[in-house]
Amino acid sequence: MSSYVKNFGGHVRAVLTGLKYLVKPNRITVYYPEYYVEPPEGYRGMIKYYPEKCIQCGLCAMICPAGAMKMYVKKGEKKGRPGVNYQRCIFCGFCVDICPQDALEMTKVHDVAFSSLEELVFPPEKLAVEVQSPALLRGAVKVKPVFDEERGLRHE
Amino acid sequence: MGLVEWIVRLVLSPGVFAPVIFPGLLTALAVLLIVIWAERKIAARVQMRVGPLYVTRHFGGVLQMLADGTRYMFQEFIVPETADKVPYMLAPALALTLAIAPFALIPSAPGFAPVKSPYSLPALLAILASTPLSVLLMGWSSNNKFSIQGAVREAFMTLAYEVPLFLSALSMAILYGSMDLEEIVGRQFLPGALLNPVAAFTFFVAMVMSSGRLPFDIVEGEQEIVAGPYVEYTGIVFGIGMGLAYLKLYALSLLYSLLFLSGWEPLPRALYSVYPGLAGVWLFAKAFTLMLFVVFLRSVYGRYRLDQALRAGWRVYLVLAVVSILLSCLLRVVVNV
Ligand code: SF4
Ligand code: SF4
Repeated sequence: MSSYVKNFGGHVRAVLTGLKYLVKPNRITVYYPEYYVEPPEGYRGMIKYYPEKCIQCGLCAMICPAGAMKMYVKKGEKKGRPGVNYQRCIFCGFCVDICPQDALEMTKVHDVAFSSLEELVFPPEKLAVEVQSPALLRGAVKVKPVFDEERGLRHE
Repeated sequence: MGLVEWIVRLVLSPGVFAPVIFPGLLTALAVLLIVIWAERKIAARVQMRVGPLYVTRHFGGVLQMLADGTRYMFQEFIVPETADKVPYMLAPALALTLAIAPFALIPSAPGFAPVKSPYSLPALLAILASTPLSVLLMGWSSNNKFSIQGAVREAFMTLAYEVPLFLSALSMAILYGSMDLEEIVGRQFLPGALLNPVAAFTFFVAMVMSSGRLPFDIVEGEQEIVAGPYVEYTGIVFGIGMGLAYLKLYALSLLYSLLFLSGWEPLPRALYSVYPGLAGVWLFAKAFTLMLFVVFLRSVYGRYRLDQALRAGWRVYLVLAVVSILLSCLLRVVVNV
């Protein structure tokens, strides 16, 4: 019997907590396409390739644990250049780390969508073009997450 | 008498106005659209999100459900090859009919009951109790393991909530000494929830169970059995399946307001003298607030397991319902209301 009374108290507390948030909401998400939360330093997003720095050593393709990075060899050439298949990439960043020339870089862009699987395959030429965040292209306001003693997470 | 006048008279007669316009079909549809939106918006507020927004942004996305409904309209209606075709088609129609039928018995103002009967309370409960049959039929005829599981869950749940629901409603009938909803409101010198709080609480929980809202949305169990009995339905019929629970909740909320919150009192005299059918605004406001509270529970609770809900139904609420009957008898003898 006493456990029922205790349970009932728990239910009342839960409902009251819910009501508190209903009256005084504490929203921690943002209106995404209008506001864009800047990813932190070291965020691993889409990969950018700098062909002029690359010495075509092939280390990046060798280290890739997901088999996403492949060397694309042109006709008549001996060495290839790296391209990524984003269907497989796990954004581990190994390829960037191992590159002796810093010819690969991880950008912060992550909110890109594709309409077909083929579009996810990036040959070297496409990898060399910097990917743009569609939200930012449409003029989203950049905000940064800040920790707040009272509210927890805030964006400004 | 001109044709127009005749039509106006017909529409304004309680037998048509109450079930079709207010508080019946048309109001119910509007309530449906708004309450589902409100449910999502409330859950979003409590869970620190935004919720539906982009359809009619200036009004906080209030027409979102209309947009969803329109989308349902244009979806293909698929009948699975393995389904039992006739009951499969028939069940949603039956469900909708049974969900709307209760409004034919709910009085919205004194002297404004579409069907005047000394037994309107048990009749209303009987209609409400028959809706699960159509859900069972839906699940069974879909011939899919998820839908059958959902149907079986519905059967279990029905037994668990129907008994406390009936008993607590009837305990109020004992207290007021009447089974006529109109008279029941008339006898409430105090709101019924104050006279018999045990019955009010039991009825409330049974009502949440009955309309399958969280924490008792066990029949649909989105994450376990993917919408249960409605899993094979597509397009607008799936929409009906979704709306069914809300229609039932609306009918039950109206009943709750009549039984426990003194219905349409205080009666707005001015409106009543214009047209009695409009005098139910308080009744509607009470029922709607109650619905908002029920859908608010979604943001607080997780889903109970089937056995937990059954245990609560039989071990706790059945006992409470019996207690509420005893309390009513006692009050009737002692206070003689
Ligand atoms: S980030 Fe990791 S998975 Fe993706 S291409 Fe580079 S090494 Fe491969
Ligand atoms: S590891 Fe760097 S330098 Fe070597 S092929 Fe890859 S991108 Fe070019």
